[in-house]
Amino acid sequence: MNTLTTFLNLLIFPGGLFLLIISTVYEWVDRKLVARYQNRVGPRWFQPVADIVKLLAKEEIIPNGVRAELFIGLPAVALAAILASALYTPMFGLQPAFSFRGDLIVVLYLLSAMTLSLGLAGANTIDRFSLIGATRTLTQLFSYEAPFLLALLGPAIVAGTWQINEINAYTGTHLWILITQPVGFLVALIGLMGKLELPPFDAPEAETEIVSGALTEYSGRGLALFRIGKDIELVIGLTLISTFYLGGLSNPLWFVLKTGVLLVVVAGLQSLFARLRIDQTVGLWWRIGALLALFQLLAIIVLRLVL
Amino acid sequence: MNHKPSADEKFIIPIGPQHPALKEPGHFEFSVDGEIVTGATVRLGYAHRGIEKATEERSWQQNAYILERICGICSHIHATAYTIGVERLAGVTISPRANTIRTLVAELERVHSHMLWWGVAAHEGGFDTLFMYTWRDRETIMDILENLSGNRVNYSANLLGGVKFDIDQKQVDMIRKGIDFLEERTHYYYQVITTDETFLGRTENIGTMTREQAESLGSVGPTARASGVERDIRVNAPYAAYTDFLIKMITDTAGDLKARFVVRLKELFESYRLIREMLDNLPEGELVVRVPRRIPEGETISRVEAPRGELFYYLASKGGDKPERIKVRTPTLPNWSSVLSVIVGHKLADVPMMLVGIDPCFSCNDRMITLQRKDNSDVWTWAKLRQYGIDYYK
Amino acid sequence: MKIGALLGDVVRSLFKSPATINYPAEPAQAPDNLRGKLIWDNRRCTGCKLCMNDCPANAITLHIIDRKEKRFVMEYYENSCIFCAQCVHSCRSEALRMSNTVWELAALHQEDFKYYYGKQEDVKSLLANEAPGFAGADD
Repeated sequence: MNTLTTFLNLLIFPGGLFLLIISTVYEWVDRKLVARYQNRVGPRWFQPVADIVKLLAKEEIIPNGVRAELFIGLPAVALAAILASALYTPMFGLQPAFSFRGDLIVVLYLLSAMTLSLGLAGANTIDRFSLIGATRTLTQLFSYEAPFLLALLGPAIVAGTWQINEINAYTGTHLWILITQPVGFLVALIGLMGKLELPPFDAPEAETEIVSGALTEYSGRGLALFRIGKDIELVIGLTLISTFYLGGLSNPLWFVLKTGVLLVVVAGLQSLFARLRIDQTVGLWWRIGALLALFQLLAIIVLRLVL
Repeated sequence: MNHKPSADEKFIIPIGPQHPALKEPGHFEFSVDGEIVTGATVRLGYAHRGIEKATEERSWQQNAYILERICGICSHIHATAYTIGVERLAGVTISPRANTIRTLVAELERVHSHMLWWGVAAHEGGFDTLFMYTWRDRETIMDILENLSGNRVNYSANLLGGVKFDIDQKQVDMIRKGIDFLEERTHYYYQVITTDETFLGRTENIGTMTREQAESLGSVGPTARASGVERDIRVNAPYAAYTDFLIKMITDTAGDLKARFVVRLKELFESYRLIREMLDNLPEGELVVRVPRRIPEGETISRVEAPRGELFYYLASKGGDKPERIKVRTPTLPNWSSVLSVIVGHKLADVPMMLVGIDPCFSCNDRMITLQRKDNSDVWTWAKLRQYGIDYYK
Repeated sequence: MKIGALLGDVVRSLFKSPATINYPAEPAQAPDNLRGKLIWDNRRCTGCKLCMNDCPANAITLHIIDRKEKRFVMEYYENSCIFCAQCVHSCRSEALRMSNTVWELAALHQEDFKYYYGKQEDVKSLLANEAPGFAGADD
């Protein structure tokens, strides 16, 4: 029975099939919102599904000068990392499938593993656009990772545990941490946009400068897997921030509402700014982002000592 | 393939011929060191269609349509330059009303071109929202021009000796309403580009070209005016109705990308003012004057101000009903050197913004390519080149 | 120093109706002056062939079957036409105009782009002369 439940968890819910479906829904909502902010109609509901089906049906071209095993294997590694990290988050407002002490660190590591494999995939080729894209991806990873981690640490310290399940229970019963740690929320939200490479932090895949960045050489199945991975990353990122800052996710209705509102805000921030150059991104994060996160942590520690 | 890079081997980024940054094909090679550009070369000629040769086989009236299709955005100004030259050769003066209508369409086209460039520049900087908004507002001008002439691009407004269509009161009101709406939106965009932090971070102090550099590199149009060089054919050598409706020259002293944006936006305000003035004082006159089928012998030049700079036409006639030679020099061609020499030292991410800052029109500037071959080099006279072309196709 | 200068516009756009239309589900509006497909009125034509000579794209061929009886057939290549309306202005008897309703001119075969304007019997006799055994000549 236990093996059957494990299989169901891995393949149907909350991993696997359910995650694939819900990621296409979230991608569609994101694209439709951005389109409406730009005063356009936007894609129809089946557009992300159609994109993925089309990509899977196309031929995958392996370019010259790459290591074929890495080229084919890295998208699978990225997707596997992301799917695994979903098992520890309260997906759809229900209890996480697996939970153990310290799984917050594991989830963050798995999310970074996805970005790392993206960078490695770009460095794997001899194409100049991919190399520059890979450099930018890794540079951006080094810059936002520390403040993002610190911002997610704030609620963990207040909840007194590093297990996402228990943090969820804590935030569900106490005052929303959004109100008590607004600076941390800001850093976490902007950090999420940097992690997902959404505009204005989309220098690693700047369309007008380096074609498609690290993904330039990918086509067909590899590109489909990377795209699915990015969509799932969006869902997981929103889930994490809603769990930590927006008062926990106790049932599916709250899940949909809270992540929905957060998506509206994220889509709005996407359409508001011009793209930042990579050196401006690094400067912004290491100067303002890190300082804000440190200030927030300091405030938490001081207040805990005082109160 | 194991390949160890040597110490001074440069990393060359090719932009083009197919690249999302370019709207038309052109080949640029930027040697970069990390993210800093250390050198740049360009190769053009991908959109060469042999238009100048094709004009020698068609009659004078047919050529107006061929030359109009050199470029899609500045089509009317090409046809205007051509018809002004032909009318001068034929010794014909057109009526004031036709002259004014011609200039009115030219100014409307300038508005359309600047708004188009505006959106494309925002897109190159990653600011897709501004791109969508400016192109939505540009639809107003496209609708006005479609209502006047019957087509959204390639208006075919010019006939030898005048214009094709007239403007009635209903169209005048429609134009006024459109221009009022656009002026309000242009004020708003002016405010956005001069205050938005992220956009300023991409445009301020990037690609600065001093006034001496601009003059020695021979740049024309808003690119030169943004560096303080006072070159505007509409003011320096007025043609068409610019002798009656005067326009003010807009210059800026900063010389960077932001200055080029500011100059073009201020030119939009001047265009709105001029359009209103022309609509208020539309003179009377007939639309077309008779121009003979055979144009007398002679040669002439005509210079006009396209939205991108000075457009130069040379026309030669041997008295027949087909032209002898037409040579076009478009404004984008001299502006390339201003990009390629200034870009050294900038970051790779600034390259698309600088390329689009001069408002390049690749279809316009593909008139000829010179190949330098190391084994033999020969200087050909024009007659020899022409004979070579005729023999090749026998 | 302003971050997000477009904020007001962006938020308002969420509540406005979109500026783009769902073409071809919704039909598009065309102004009165639109230069669409060429229409020829054979009763006014005098057979001077000025339109044919002035066309920059060689899209018009005027066949004269009988000049005195005013039997002409105009062969119009829609896929060569550049819709410049020079023929409309060259014609001295106002026999040509550009339609403002027919402008969605896509077709699947090249033959669909060739139009023959004129009286039925004139067109048939032209086609019979041009290509004996032509399929439509015996209808």
